[in-house]
Order: sequence, then C-alpha cells, then structure tokens
Amino acid sequence: MFESILVYGLVASAILLLISLGFSITFGLSGIANLSYGGIYLSAGYLTWYLINVLQFPLFAAALTSVTLMAILGALIYRILIIRVRGNIMNEVVVTFALGLATMELFRFLGFGGYGFSLPSVASGGIRILGQAIGFQRLLIIGVAILVALLLWYFTRRTKTGLALLGMAQDEYTALSLGIDSDWSATYSCAIGAAITALAAVLIFPLGVIAIDEGYKVLIRMMAVTVLGGLESTKGLVLACIILGYFQVTVSNLASPRWTEAVFLGAILFVLAFRPSGLIGQSKELEERV
Amino acid sequence: MQNEVILKVQDLSRRFGGVRAVDGISFEVKSGEALGIIGPNGSGKSTLINLITGFVKPDKGAVFYKGNNITGLKPHKIASIGIARSFQTVKPFYNLPVYKNLIIPLYSNRVKKQLKGGCMGDRDEAAMHLLEEVGFERESNLPYKITGTLPHGYLKKLELARCLCLDPEIVIVDELFSGMSMSEIASAMPIMEKIVAEGKTLIMIEHRLRELFRVVQGVMVLNFGKIIARGTPEEVVKVEEVKEAYLGKEGETVA
Repeated sequence: MFESILVYGLVASAILLLISLGFSITFGLSGIANLSYGGIYLSAGYLTWYLINVLQFPLFAAALTSVTLMAILGALIYRILIIRVRGNIMNEVVVTFALGLATMELFRFLGFGGYGFSLPSVASGGIRILGQAIGFQRLLIIGVAILVALLLWYFTRRTKTGLALLGMAQDEYTALSLGIDSDWSATYSCAIGAAITALAAVLIFPLGVIAIDEGYKVLIRMMAVTVLGGLESTKGLVLACIILGYFQVTVSNLASPRWTEAVFLGAILFVLAFRPSGLIGQSKELEERV
Repeated sequence: MQNEVILKVQDLSRRFGGVRAVDGISFEVKSGEALGIIGPNGSGKSTLINLITGFVKPDKGAVFYKGNNITGLKPHKIASIGIARSFQTVKPFYNLPVYKNLIIPLYSNRVKKQLKGGCMGDRDEAAMHLLEEVGFERESNLPYKITGTLPHGYLKKLELARCLCLDPEIVIVDELFSGMSMSEIASAMPIMEKIVAEGKTLIMIEHRLRELFRVVQGVMVLNFGKIIARGTPEEVVKVEEVKEAYLGKEGETVA
C-alpha cells in the first residue's frame, strides 16, 4: 500500500505538473489567465486521434503536428480574442472560459462523446519500482514533466525572450518603455502555453480514453494547482502538484477513486478560504483590505 | 552632432474628455541640451511626456526625432530608437530581484552588441555597475532583494538606472526627486550632471526647482496645457505669468 502510494503519487504529481505548466506559464509570462486550455487539451487529443486513425500519420509525426497546430491556435486566440479585452482580467477570464467550454461542447455536439477514441502509447511494457509495476508511458510523463519544467525555468531566466516576457508580466508599461513589444510577447506566451497543454494531452490520453469530461477535469485540476501553488511562483506550483498528486492517490487508495474530483474541488475552496494567495505567496490581501 | 535639433514637437494636442491636457504645444530640443519642464499639477507635463514616448496618442500635431516623424509609433519602438523615460509613479518589476530589473533591458537590441558573453555574460556586471552608480552599495545585499521590499527612495533610483540601461540619446525623467530624501537628492545630482556631461539630451520634469536649475540650461513652463514661458532659469522666474501660475514666493528666493 505504502509503496503503491509513493510510486503512483509521483506519477499523479507529474501529470498535474504537465497539465498545469501551460496555464501557469502563460499567466506567469503575460499575466493572462487563459482558461481555454481545457478546450485546447481536448482538441489536441482529438486532432492527434484524427491524424493517426484517419490520415495514417505515424504517432510521433501526429504528436508533433498537434503540438505545433495548437501553438498556432493559442497564438490566434490571443491575436483575435484576448487582445480586444487585454488588461481587463475579468473579461479575459470570461472570454477564455467561454471559448474553452464552447470548444469542449462543440466536440460533444459533433458526436465525439462516445468511448471509441483513444491514443496509442509511445512504448508498451514497463518496469517495477519498489515492487510496483509502472508502465513506460507513465515514466515518460514523469520525465517530460521534469524536462519541460526545467526548460521553462531556463527560458525565463536565461534567454532574451523569456526575460522580456517575465518583465511584461510584471509591468506592461515598464516593459514597453524598455522596448519590449507587449502584444507579440503575449502572443508567444499563449502559443507556448497551448503547446505545452497539447503535449500534455498527447502524453496523458494514452493512459485512458479521450472523452469530453477529460477537458473539464483538466480545467479543474489546472485551477486547483494554480490556486494552491499561487500564481507567480514556480516553486509553489511544483509543491502544489506534489501535495495534490499524493493526496489524490492516497484518497483514491484509502477511500475510493470516486473521490478524486472532490480532492481538487475541495482544494480550490479550502485554499481560497484560508490562504487566498497560495502556499508560498505572501498574504498581502488582508493587509490591503484592512 | 551638438546643437542639432534632436527632438521637435509641433502643435501637439490631446484632450481628455473636455479637458485640453496638452493644447497646441510646439518646441525644439537640441542634441546635448538639458531642458527642465515645470508647471503646476495638472498643467500637462506628464501627458506631454506620454505623447512624446507613444504611451498616449495625440489628437493632432507631430513629434520628430532626428528629423523623422515618430508620431503614433508604439512605445516600445520609441524606446528602441533611443528615447528612454522614467515614470512619475515608480514602475519597477516588483516581484523580481532588483538587478533583474536591469538585466531585462540589458537584453534589448539597443545595447546587445556592447555586451559580450553567453547567457548573462557581461550583463550581471553591467547591471551591478549601473546600480552602484545610482547609489546601491555593491557590498550591501540590496541588488539581490525583491524589488517590492525596497524603500521608496531606492525605487526612484532604480527608475533612473533602468532608463540608463538602454544607452539612450534622450533621457526623460518625470519628477524623479519627489519622494526622495534630501540626502538621496544630493546623491542623485551628480548622476544627472553626468548624463548632461556625457552629451546625452536630458528632459526633466521637476518640482524641486533649486536642484533642477543646477542641472538644466533651459526651462519651459506649462500651464493649462500651453507653454507660458521658455528661457533660462533666471529668465523664466522673472516672467510675471509664471510667478502667478506656479512659483509664488519661492520663485523669488530661487532667483
């Protein structure tokens, strides 16, 4: 039991990290809360399925095409929709949330609601860690999640574009006064976020089936992790993924897998009520309100 | 290049609602000149700066930089051709360490060629050097602190350092000295004098007239969005309209 929680908690944490990195990086780099990523996640899944099963693409080519197209879609969403409401956080949230829901419901409307859709794993088989059987696909997810997190860390601290984006998230006017093109920076950040979300979809969907509900689950998990981890710190994000990942697996083991969703929804409510700025974030709210 | 007109403002106007914030302002600044802009609160000084740097679009009129029309260019374009500005209310990158506030502009295309090295390379050193220049002691851990935790005076100094990062040809500072202590102003004065001595063009909006007049050769006085006087500090404080609008008794003591 204990070994099982240890190993599968790590897998769950990595899955959470992979699905929330896209949302978190877009917010961290341009201050845009882009809630359309649930829709992007689902679109990437169905697109990859279509490329493999209808157009006969090899798995790797299909994955690459999906990630690229979703990056372009992410950029377009910024250039066409978000750019018009930019700066008004409420409107940004509403417009991207609506878009995400509309995308997911569109798939239901088009008849993608059934259970006939699944993606192949990159590698079948697995190994044993601490006596627990773990598939290569899950190991791959852990590896990619860590790799993407490290790459993003490097990108935002050591590259020109990354630093420019970081500056823009802090203060758009100041960034502009330093010669940083705000609209293009935000476009990049939305493209990067969508690409990472698509990558998550391509890697995670093979563990189950592609279903409309998965888009909603991803949206809820994304929010739970970012609320718990605080919106501005990578450390907080990783910590939140580990806490929620292990908590989810523990609850699922001790009680029932049916309680999994409750873990995330409960986390959102609990954190917002007691630590609104997240685990690591400094609680400025109270000070300002008083 | 000295004595050539570097910045020319022509009939610039902007209304906000019914208020003529800037109302048909025209002036020229020569390369290497240090110009002070003074005037009561709400006289249009900051709007004028916002119009020149592209943060606000003019209703009519034009801005020329080195003979090129830059009216309506986006702020980041204007910054990248060599016009740097500070903000009246400080606008640092609050959640980043202080030195990163300078690392980011040090990556801009304007200064890229002057800095060698890989990832950070010379940039760390360049940032530290600039911070030291504006009064962050190198030995202190101030450059590594999160910017939001700094006292206000240091944020003002950081505002200036950030402008200088871009190696600008025109430096525009908006009420740099307000909110600084007397000793902080005293330590900032040599920096302003050095900017002028290096041949950069300086435009200073300032309420601290005594210090302003030590740095600038020319002063322009605004009121209700119009220029009501321009000349040397000695000349403008004698203009009756200026005394009435703004200076009051202090003007006499300064002169």
